[in-house]
Amino acid sequence: MTLEVSDLRVYYRTLRGDVRALDGPTFTLADGEIMGLAGESGSGKSTLSKSLIRLDGRMRYIGGDVVLDGDTVPVWDDRAMNDFRYKRISIIPQYAMSAMNPTRKIGRMIAELLESRGVRFREIRDELHRRLELVGLERDVLDRYPLELSGGMKQRTVMVISTLLNPSLLIADEVTSALDVSTQRAVAETLVEFRDREFVKSMIVVTHDISLVYQIADTIMVMYAGRLAEKAPAKTIIEMPRHPYTKMLLDSLPEVGVKYEDRRLSGIPGSPPGLLDPPQGCRFRDRCPLADEQCLEQPPFVEVESDHHVACWKAE
Amino acid sequence: MTAAQPLPDPTTAPEEPAAAAPEAPRREALYFALRNPKLIVGLTIVLLFLLVGLVVPPFLEHGPGDRYAPPLLPPSGEHWFGTTQFGQDLFTQFAYGVRATFLVGLLGGGIAAVIGMTIGFVAGYKGGWIDEVLNMLTNVVLVLPTLAALFIIAAYVDSYSVATQSFFIGMTSWPWAARAVRSQALSLSSRDFVDLARLSGVRPWKIIVRDIAPNMSSYLFMTFILLFGGAVLAAAGLDFVGLGPSDGMSLGLIMHQAVKWGALQLGVWWWFVPPGLGITAIVGAMYIMNVGLDEVFNPKLREM
Repeated sequence: MTLEVSDLRVYYRTLRGDVRALDGPTFTLADGEIMGLAGESGSGKSTLSKSLIRLDGRMRYIGGDVVLDGDTVPVWDDRAMNDFRYKRISIIPQYAMSAMNPTRKIGRMIAELLESRGVRFREIRDELHRRLELVGLERDVLDRYPLELSGGMKQRTVMVISTLLNPSLLIADEVTSALDVSTQRAVAETLVEFRDREFVKSMIVVTHDISLVYQIADTIMVMYAGRLAEKAPAKTIIEMPRHPYTKMLLDSLPEVGVKYEDRRLSGIPGSPPGLLDPPQGCRFRDRCPLADEQCLEQPPFVEVESDHHVACWKAE
Repeated sequence: MTAAQPLPDPTTAPEEPAAAAPEAPRREALYFALRNPKLIVGLTIVLLFLLVGLVVPPFLEHGPGDRYAPPLLPPSGEHWFGTTQFGQDLFTQFAYGVRATFLVGLLGGGIAAVIGMTIGFVAGYKGGWIDEVLNMLTNVVLVLPTLAALFIIAAYVDSYSVATQSFFIGMTSWPWAARAVRSQALSLSSRDFVDLARLSGVRPWKIIVRDIAPNMSSYLFMTFILLFGGAVLAAAGLDFVGLGPSDGMSLGLIMHQAVKWGALQLGVWWWFVPPGLGITAIVGAMYIMNVGLDEVFNPKLREM
């Protein structure tokens, strides 16, 4: 197992109390696994991915463990986390377009970044050139400023930089949301290639584009209101979802070629609960067509089939 | 600030000659610098004045206070800037004055810039209680009646040189610079590339020096120029009320004496116009230079 997260709780501090944005997810990520992390806005998927690399000022660690390759990741200790950041846990940010210092040439920026993490640039230069070639970039991008690159080139450059030190865990945060469709595909394929070449051991791809993540992910994990709803191999999630939320989420996806007259998009009525004072029991209860008294109790996240985990009383 | 030295760029450095002969970064900056009229004009004027202040005084046979010429001579071949009511040569005074002006500006402005930027960067980047404390300190110094404080200091300190004057001016004029730098650093530290540097575990001072400071370099230089101008004017104010350095000459002092001895009423324009123009020209030229420098170092503003 590359990554084991157990009962991780991270709340946001506000004057009116804690917002329980991440309320105890427990899951594992195998070696070489690409996991798609899906869910609507406010489901806690960003909080989860941020928690694994850096808590920002308002986020408060409450409890839980994160273990990476057998070592405990001290997510609560900003300073101690520095040993993990970039070297062992790296991120491709959502904002690849503006992720590079505009006043530094890219090569120099990389050299400074590596040097500040105690790695000699010269030792890694050949590998850097190879990887740039792999993603279809000339090595002379190193001698350019970020603004001389197109959006897609910047995206690819950032992907190469993020994975340069072969991290165990790569978090790809909405990497495709700002790109056009053909570039999205190229980026997705590059992610898979990075895994196949073992530049990264395992990957969490945060997205709300389930159809894209289906193309590349081995497993998909669906989050709802700070908790895990379902985790299963990608094919299973798409073809045989067990959790009512997953089913409804998939029903809300448009299909190419299907006209509005033939089949209306269903959507999910209602909106997610506020997490300042979340309701007892299953948090999807209010919007769930199957809900009954049993759902007043929090359903456990259990394995209903091999590798298929669901948190729902009705999933048997 | 301890701006990062342009390291020998390892990406373009030796070993691989076949890299399509990319120009070294410094040569590239020079290429744009030499084609930027603003930078060249500004730099020329500043250097001209600096040259006057540095090179001319040793060649003058009389001191700035020597009374040896007929009074109130208009500018002529012998006395380029004319003479004062007491027969002092105004060009001699001007040359010594420019020298003192640069000294006050560089020292006073420099001290204020170092303090202001350090406090501003730390407060803006760190935030939290560090920001609160530094901000309080800044505000306290900001509301001190600076000029009055300088009067008191000047009146109590015995041996009073241009350097001492600069030091006190520097120690009292940094607060607004700290506030300005703080707000810029605050906004820059929420930018994406700074966030990514943080996520990559880069140490805070390296983020400040590499990611934040270079992106506001023209702003920092501007701050220094304004502090430079402010220090010159503060010194002129002190000189004006007779609390300037006991020995020495400054552009402010010339203007003070001109007003004191009725140059305005007598129509002796050559007494007060050159020093006034001198201060304006030095500060103005540095401003133009700053705009030019911005265009050279910010690749977005470059014009081919």
